[in-house]
Amino acid sequence: MLEIDKASVVYESSQLFANLSLKINAHEIVALTGPSGCGKTTLLRCIAGLESISTGTILLNNQDITNQPTHLRKIGMVFQDNQLFPHLTVGQNIAYSLKIKRVDKKITEQKVREVTSLVGLAHLIDRTVTNLSGGEAKRIAVARALVAEPKVLLLDEPLTGLDPDLHGRLLEDLGKLLRTRGTTVLHVTHDKAEASTIADRVLDLRQLIS
Amino acid sequence: MTTIYNRSRIVNWLAALPIAVICAFVVAPVVNILVSSFQLDSLNLLRSETIRNVVWFTTWQALTSTAVALLVALPIAFCMANFRFASQRFTTSLITMPFILPSIVVGAAFLQILPNNLHRTAFALILAHVYFNFGFVTRLISARWVQIHPYLDDAARTLGASPLKLFITLTMPLLRKAIVNAALVVFTLCFTSYGVVRILGGPSRSTIETEIYFRAMQLGDVSGAMMLSALQIIVISVIFHATNKQIGQTVEQTTRPIISRQRPLHANKHKIAITVIIASTTAFAVVPVFAIAVKSVVTNSRFTTTAWRTVFTNPEIVQSLVKTLIYAIVTMMLATLLGLLSACSIAYGNKKFRYVSGLTALPIVISAVVIGLGVIITFDSQPIDWRGAQLMLPLAHALVALPLAMRIISPVLQAIPDSLRQASNVLGASSWQTWRNIDLKIIRRAVAAAAAISAAVSIGEFGASSFLARRGSETLPITISRLLSRPGDSLRTQAFVLATLLALFSIAIIFIIDRKNSHA
Repeated sequence: MLEIDKASVVYESSQLFANLSLKINAHEIVALTGPSGCGKTTLLRCIAGLESISTGTILLNNQDITNQPTHLRKIGMVFQDNQLFPHLTVGQNIAYSLKIKRVDKKITEQKVREVTSLVGLAHLIDRTVTNLSGGEAKRIAVARALVAEPKVLLLDEPLTGLDPDLHGRLLEDLGKLLRTRGTTVLHVTHDKAEASTIADRVLDLRQLIS
Repeated sequence: MTTIYNRSRIVNWLAALPIAVICAFVVAPVVNILVSSFQLDSLNLLRSETIRNVVWFTTWQALTSTAVALLVALPIAFCMANFRFASQRFTTSLITMPFILPSIVVGAAFLQILPNNLHRTAFALILAHVYFNFGFVTRLISARWVQIHPYLDDAARTLGASPLKLFITLTMPLLRKAIVNAALVVFTLCFTSYGVVRILGGPSRSTIETEIYFRAMQLGDVSGAMMLSALQIIVISVIFHATNKQIGQTVEQTTRPIISRQRPLHANKHKIAITVIIASTTAFAVVPVFAIAVKSVVTNSRFTTTAWRTVFTNPEIVQSLVKTLIYAIVTMMLATLLGLLSACSIAYGNKKFRYVSGLTALPIVISAVVIGLGVIITFDSQPIDWRGAQLMLPLAHALVALPLAMRIISPVLQAIPDSLRQASNVLGASSWQTWRNIDLKIIRRAVAAAAAISAAVSIGEFGASSFLARRGSETLPITISRLLSRPGDSLRTQAFVLATLLALFSIAIIFIIDRKNSHA
């Protein structure tokens, strides 16, 4: 499904990692751990096409996407601090990718309703995103990424900064949601307990470097 | 805003002086104009074809100038907000320079660089207005653009947005408020433009502002001038009100993201595009000033420094230079004091002092020419016949500079966390000691910048001065205008020497302010 072969990244003239290889199967949830600054987020950004790798290849369903622009990759990402669009409502944020693809308005509304129900926030659909709680904003960010039906979903420490109660609840809900939808996921976290709760496989980034 | 100063009674009196000055010298004259113009039988004036043509020309040239200034500024703002390159700070200062150049200098510069057949044309006016405003628009939009978190762009891209769709669906909506605000200010400045139109437009290209001057000072039709002033105030007030209502609900991020969206130039296509945009922009900013400087040493197609020697030996010009400097110093002190008091009353006072911000913005809505006219018709009889008073001119200049001075100091003052003051208090400092050692120390660069800008405004001010300057108290812009209107190449060259001096002063101010701010 997703295959990274001998990828290297040079950041501001120093090598962040070299010869990194990773394979993720379809519908698999893989958690990636490692110390701060080892390049976990950069790896996700390279897979999404937001940064370039200096050497190596990235294959998605056996197709080379190494030099493909981000918007054509069909790889979704949930950012650490959500990055909800402040000028749009909750519903408009979730519908963003469908609007970009010019999906029929009725189908868009239906999909937005479905996914907001799935994350348990259907009642917030018309709210502005600037006054959502941390947990609500996180769920909306996941819903926005899922509605685009990405081939792979990248989660960049999505539960960092939440209080322990909320963290536990969201982790459980997120795991259920991703498994129900059969989404292929690469989940980056520094929390080993979180990694083992949500993932089929837990990998340390340093082990991926040959 | 809650501060440790809220309890102090003196806070309630901080706004007293600015309010009194604005009420006496802006509000009262404007009310006088509005009341008098409707009492007089001058409504027929609006039906005349000449006036309708003037109003129409004023409107469409202002709209076109605003649209072109935005179109020129957007690509530059894109470069400034999204890339990091050598000489970026220098370029920013350079493109801001035209905005603080005296309008008479801009008019003279374009008179010099444009061929004769383009003088007195709408094209010349629009070009000069774009030159005057594009740097300001660039600065306002790029300041907002750098605040947009780069990961918002990334989120849109991972959701399938191409660069164009990203710009339309994300960047533009988030820049909307900055663009509308910039457009509003530029439209107002072009709608009320006076110096540029007097020099470049001549009698054939009259705007409401020059028509007010022409009627009041040359035809003696004060009632007609007042009617036009009233019309101008109403139009601009309606536009300000409608725009503020429209953009009032716009969502804004106000903090700069931790991750900078400015990235170094790596790709060759970016390097080429940025080089072309920045080089052409720099040339556009520099060429008119360079043309003035060149003209100041060329008389009858020969290189000569005679004009430079003449201006410093001509007693009339030397007197004008000295008066200009004295007025600038008085203006600087007045505008800075009024701006500081207004900013403090907004920052430290309770919510009821919010209106002070609107009150100090009045001189933006009400042009310098209208302030000048208002003052001479309001203070025209004993015991308040102050038209010829020496202080009147710097006071009018201070009112024109006040919105800028206040808006330079106010954001810095409001950004000071009250916890710093509380810490000072806990360490034993009184409120006054805290203000001197915390607030004043933090805002001192902003106060210095406000003072410098106020001096620059005074030195280049032309609109109010046209009404209030008396023989023997003429300022440099008035002298330049007089020299340019006389026949003879040597007199024109002297005008360009003075214009060069004004330009050099403005350039020095903007570079000093930008340098100090970057060190802060």
